[in-house]
Amino acid sequence: MAVLPMSKVSIIGLKKDRKKILEAVQRMGVLEVRAFKGTEMGFENTDTSVSQARFSKACADARQALEFLESYCPEQKSLFASFEGLEGLSVREYEARLEKRDDILSKAGELVKWQKEIADAQGDIIKLSASIEGLTPWKALSVPLNFSGTKRTSAFLGSFPESYSAEELERSFDECCEKKQTEELKNAVHFEIIYESDSQTYIMALCNKEVSEQAESILRYMGLTAPAVSSGVLPTEKIKELEEQIEKSKKLIEENQKKITAYESLRDDLKFLVDYFTMRIDKYKVIEKVGQSRNVFVLTGYVPKKDIPKLESELVEKIGVAFEYEDADGDDVPVLLKNNGFAAPLEGVLETFSLPGKGELDPTAAMAVFYYFLFGLMLSDAAYGIIMVLVCAFALWKFPKMKRGLRKSMKMYLYCGISTTFWGVMFGGYFGDAVQVIAKTFFNSDFTIPPLWFSPLDEPMRMLMFSLLVGIVHLFAGLGMKFYALVKAKEYKDAIYDVVFWYLLVGGAIVFLLSMKMFVDMASLSFILPPIAGKIATVAMIIGAIGIALTGGRSSKNPFKRLAKGLYELYNVTGYLSDILSYSRLLALGLATGVIANVFNKMGSMFGGGVLGVIGFILVFVIGHTLNIGINLLGAYVHTNRLQFVEFFGKFYEGGGEKYSPFRADTGYFEIESE
Amino acid sequence: MENMGIVFALLGAALAALLAGIGSAVGVGMAGEAAAGVVTEDPQKFGKVLILQLLPGTQGIYGLLIAFMTLTQIGVLGEPNPVSLTEGFLYLAACLPMAFVGLWSAIRQGRAAVAGISLVSKRPDQMGKAIIFAAMVETYAILALLISILSIFGIAGLGL
Repeated sequence: MAVLPMSKVSIIGLKKDRKKILEAVQRMGVLEVRAFKGTEMGFENTDTSVSQARFSKACADARQALEFLESYCPEQKSLFASFEGLEGLSVREYEARLEKRDDILSKAGELVKWQKEIADAQGDIIKLSASIEGLTPWKALSVPLNFSGTKRTSAFLGSFPESYSAEELERSFDECCEKKQTEELKNAVHFEIIYESDSQTYIMALCNKEVSEQAESILRYMGLTAPAVSSGVLPTEKIKELEEQIEKSKKLIEENQKKITAYESLRDDLKFLVDYFTMRIDKYKVIEKVGQSRNVFVLTGYVPKKDIPKLESELVEKIGVAFEYEDADGDDVPVLLKNNGFAAPLEGVLETFSLPGKGELDPTAAMAVFYYFLFGLMLSDAAYGIIMVLVCAFALWKFPKMKRGLRKSMKMYLYCGISTTFWGVMFGGYFGDAVQVIAKTFFNSDFTIPPLWFSPLDEPMRMLMFSLLVGIVHLFAGLGMKFYALVKAKEYKDAIYDVVFWYLLVGGAIVFLLSMKMFVDMASLSFILPPIAGKIATVAMIIGAIGIALTGGRSSKNPFKRLAKGLYELYNVTGYLSDILSYSRLLALGLATGVIANVFNKMGSMFGGGVLGVIGFILVFVIGHTLNIGINLLGAYVHTNRLQFVEFFGKFYEGGGEKYSPFRADTGYFEIESE
Repeated sequence: MENMGIVFALLGAALAALLAGIGSAVGVGMAGEAAAGVVTEDPQKFGKVLILQLLPGTQGIYGLLIAFMTLTQIGVLGEPNPVSLTEGFLYLAACLPMAFVGLWSAIRQGRAAVAGISLVSKRPDQMGKAIIFAAMVETYAILALLISILSIFGIAGLGL
C-alpha cells in the first residue's frame, strides 16, 4: 500500500565480466539503469549506435519475414490468443535456437527478398497490361508501329480523340489546308482507318515524301497523337510477347509464394529471432549508459530496496563485483507501487492518471474501495455483475500465463462485477426487469424479485439523495487523505488550514441544509435535524469560512494580497457544490442501465407468447443485453474514472512520478525461464 | 382539443430521441473519422481510439431513455393513460433539456474526443487524460438527463 522505497546502486565490475554481469542483471530484471557520467574520473560512455542499427536491421528483417509468412499462411490462433500470454522457453531450448540464429537470419533475408520479387513482378504485370491495352487498337495494322514510310512515301500513325470515317477525315484535312493556305496539299494524303471506337479513331496516313513535313504539321493541327507504345515488330506479335512476359511474372509470383509457404516451419524460429534481437538492442542501449575505463566499468541505477540482497548476492558472490548502494532520494527516482491483492488491480488505472510524485502517498488503496463501490452503483444489475464475475474468473483460471497488465484488468473487472451484483440485488435489477417480463409474457403470472433495498426507477429522488451522500463521503475521504498526508509530513498547521476549515465549512453547510424545512421537503427526506443542530452548524460554517479567508492566502506576505487570496480561496466553495452535484451521474447511469435493459425486454415481449414468441424473445434478449452490457460497462468505467480523477484526486493528489522500468528481457513471443 | 395532450407529450419524446440522437451521430461520426486516421498509421491503437470514439454516443442513449420513459408514462407503451393538455405541454417541456443539451454536448464532446484521439496517437500513455477531457463535457448531458428524468417522474403526481 505504498510507494516502494528505492535504492541508488552502483555496480563496479571488470570489463571482461561485462557480458556476464549485464546478462545476470537483465535476467533478474530489477535494475532501472541510469547513465553514468564520470568523464573527469576517466570513465567514458561507449557509442553503440552502429551495433544497435545492425541489430535493428536484423530484427526488422525477421519481423518482416514473419509478417509475409503470416499473409500467405496465417497462423492458426485460438479466439483467446491474446489472453494466453507468452510461451515459455527453457534455457536449453534457448541455447539450441541461438545456435541456429545465423542460418535463420539468412533464411529470413531470403524470405524478404522473395517477397520483394513478388512485389516487383506485381508492378511489372500492371505495367505490361497497360502496354497491351495501348496496343490492342493497332491489332489490325499489318506494319510495325514504328513504320515511317517507304522510299517514296511517308507514313504517319496515330489517333484522333474523335470518331471519324475515312471520307470525313479527308474532308477535314482539306478544310485545314484551306485555313493554313496550303491548298496544294489537298488530296495529297491518303487515310486508312485501323480501328474506330466512339471516342477514338486510330489511323495510318500516307503521303508523298516531298510534302511529308507540311502534311505532318497539318495532321498535328488536326489533333493527331502518336501511339503511346512504339515497337519494331507487328502489334499482334508485340502483344503476344508482352503476354508471355506477364505469364512469366505470374509464374514467378506463384513459385515465390510456394517457397515462402514452404518456410512455414520457421515461424517459431523467426519469432525467437525477433525476441533475441530486441533483447540485444536493449542490452546495447544499456551499454551506452555504462561508464567504462580501460579495465573497469560502472553500472548505476535504481533498484527497489527489497531486491537489493538478491541482486547483491547474485552479482557479488557468483561473479564478483564491487556493489554499493544508498537510499535514493531525488526528483527522478522512479516509482514502483506495492499493494495488496484487492487494491493492486487499480494500479493500472492510477497509472493512466499519473503515478505519485516525490513524497506523495500512494492513493491506490483508498481509491480501490470507492472504485469498486461506484462502478457497481453505476452498472447495478445483478445478472450483468454475475456475467462479469464468471467471465473474468474463467479467464483468470484458464490462462494463468496471461500478461500482467491484462491480468490486473481482469481482476479489476472481477471485483467490479462483485460490486455490480451486490447493487443489482439491492436495487432489484436482473437483466433489468426481465424476470417480471418473462413471467408475465410466458407464464401469465405477476412474479417479481423485489429489490432488497429500493428501486431507483420508482424512487428517483431517493436515489439522487443517496448518490449525493456517496459523493459527500467520497469528497470528505479525499480531504481526509490530504489531512493524513499533511500530518504525516508533520505540517500540522497546514492540516488545520487546508482540511479542517473545509470540513467545518462544507460539513456545516450540509448539516444546516438538513435542518431546513424547505430543503428537506424539496429532497423529500423522511427526517429533519433539530434546530439546535442547525445553529451549531451555522457556527461551524462561520468558523470555517473565516478560517479559510484568513489563511487561504498565507503564501503571500502583503496583508491585503493575503486577504484577497483568502477570499478567493473561499470562493472555491462553489467548487464543492458542483463536485457534489457531479455525483448525480450515479443516478443517471444506474437508470440508464435499467431503462435500456427494460426497453429490450419490452421489445422482446412484443412477439407475444408461444414458441415463436420465445424464439423472438431470446433473439432480442441476447443481442439487446450484449449491447447494453457493452455500452454501460464503458460508461461505468469512464465515469468512475472521472469521479476518481477529477473529484477525488482534485482534493489531494497531484502525481507526476515516473514509472519504474527495469532493464529486463522485454520479449514479445517467448519468456525465457530461469532454471 | 382534449386529446392534444398526448400529441405534445409524444412530440417531446420524439424531440429527445431525435436531437440527442443527431448529436451523438455527429459526434461519434467525427471521432470515427479521426480514429480511422490513427488506425491507418498504427492498427494496434484500435482498442484505445474505439473507446474514445464511443464517448459521444451516450447522449443518444440518454435521449432514448427519456423518450422511452415518456412513452411509458403517457401510455403509448404499456397501459393506456389519459394525458391532459397541460400534462402534454409539461412532458414536452420536461423532454427539452435532454433534447437540446444532448444535441450540443454530443457534438462538442465529439470534438473533444477527436482532440483526445490525436493526443492518444502521439502519446498512447495519456489515454486516461484523453478520456477525462471528453467525459467533462458529458457532465452537462448528465445534468440535463437528471432534470428531464425528475420532471417526467414528477408530472404524473401533480394531477393536472
